[in-house]
Amino acid sequence: MRTRAILGSILASTSVLIVGYQAGVSVTMSDGTSLSLPVDAATNGTTGSTSGGTSTSTDGSGTETGSTGSSTPSTGTSTEGPAASGPTDGTYTGSSVSTRFGNVQVAVTIAAGSITDVTALQLTDDDGRSIQISNRAAPILRSEVLSSQSARVSNVSGATYTTDAYLTSLQSALDQAGV
Amino acid sequence: MRRAFSTMGTMASIALPDAWASEITELQRIFRAIDERYSLYLPDSELSMIASGRTLLADASATLLASYARALEWRSATGGNFSPHRPDGTIDLNGIVKAEAIEQAGEYLTAVGCPQWSVNVGGDILVSPTGGATPATASAAPLVPRVMRAGIAEPLSPTELLCSLKLRHPRRAIATSGSAQRGDHIWRAGSTGPVSFIQVSVVANDIVTADVLATTIVAGGEEVLDEVTDRWDVDVITVDRSGALRTTPGLLRALSPTA
Repeated sequence: MRTRAILGSILASTSVLIVGYQAGVSVTMSDGTSLSLPVDAATNGTTGSTSGGTSTSTDGSGTETGSTGSSTPSTGTSTEGPAASGPTDGTYTGSSVSTRFGNVQVAVTIAAGSITDVTALQLTDDDGRSIQISNRAAPILRSEVLSSQSARVSNVSGATYTTDAYLTSLQSALDQAGV
Repeated sequence: MRRAFSTMGTMASIALPDAWASEITELQRIFRAIDERYSLYLPDSELSMIASGRTLLADASATLLASYARALEWRSATGGNFSPHRPDGTIDLNGIVKAEAIEQAGEYLTAVGCPQWSVNVGGDILVSPTGGATPATASAAPLVPRVMRAGIAEPLSPTELLCSLKLRHPRRAIATSGSAQRGDHIWRAGSTGPVSFIQVSVVANDIVTADVLATTIVAGGEEVLDEVTDRWDVDVITVDRSGALRTTPGLLRALSPTA
């Protein structure tokens, strides 16, 4: 089904989705042809960026589709009728995509030719258990915190200091420096 | 200005505008009063009297009972991973009293109108809604909210920083728990196995939540980490036994060195 293929390509490449959103047009399908989606250009560009996603910006594999509900266009904007080549209204389910955070599958709802909702259907962890897209802690590399070490700090949080341990602590140095 | 003093078996470090320096005395009094009520090291503290059976819990002060009730609520909320009881049944409010003391110090400073401050007691930190203390002396000067950066100590080498992050209203509180320095105040619920995390820092909107949940995650391990981040509005960074890190998305954003 054509629309299914279109949505498959959306899922496979969030960057395309975002570009498509912001431009309001032109989603490239997996078979190389392209299609105009009459996405309302007035839609705030940021709504398509799913910034609350699963912090996958480093892997670039398009898994940011995980953020639920963040792509709902504002209502009341001038939506033109579906273009001749536009998809039929309805909800379309993408294929499950394997990511380093687990499997992701989303559904996209299209009304009047615009994407009105993106819903995460599946996100599983390594054990196959279903998890919700959330505030969960994910592994990061030490190199990702490295640059923050050199920033100037005024207090240090650590496991409770004993008074003795304090004497050799960074906090003690900061206190003596009076910063 | 910044003043450090010894209290509650640890060190407090307070930063205030110079014009508010005289408030340090009252803050010391607040901490001393709390210590004298709850310390199990002072044989005649109210809590020691209860622990030794010289005072019945039913006869305890309303203040102590309120802290105990709050700790019990946290015990329920965390499925027992946080507990105000030692394994032998002794009531030990150490896990909540320090955070309550920081909270009270903050309430006091807010009540007297101190514009910008930070209170760090034993590595648990609360900053004013307007950010960390400014060195400015004029208390009436217009205030620009300051983003304060707090460091997090490297658990295996506490004289080094693991990272630093922004503390900004409403995320004003950070607490760190771990087995690195004083693991003995964390009792593992129903398990004697080794902790999976050697250090856990929780950033929250209030210091009691941050402190209790940091303790909870150390005690409960990985499974509890997920539960906590699902249920509470907090940011977390954990260090496990191999030194590997995990962070919630919000904490990762707060690490950014730019203001």
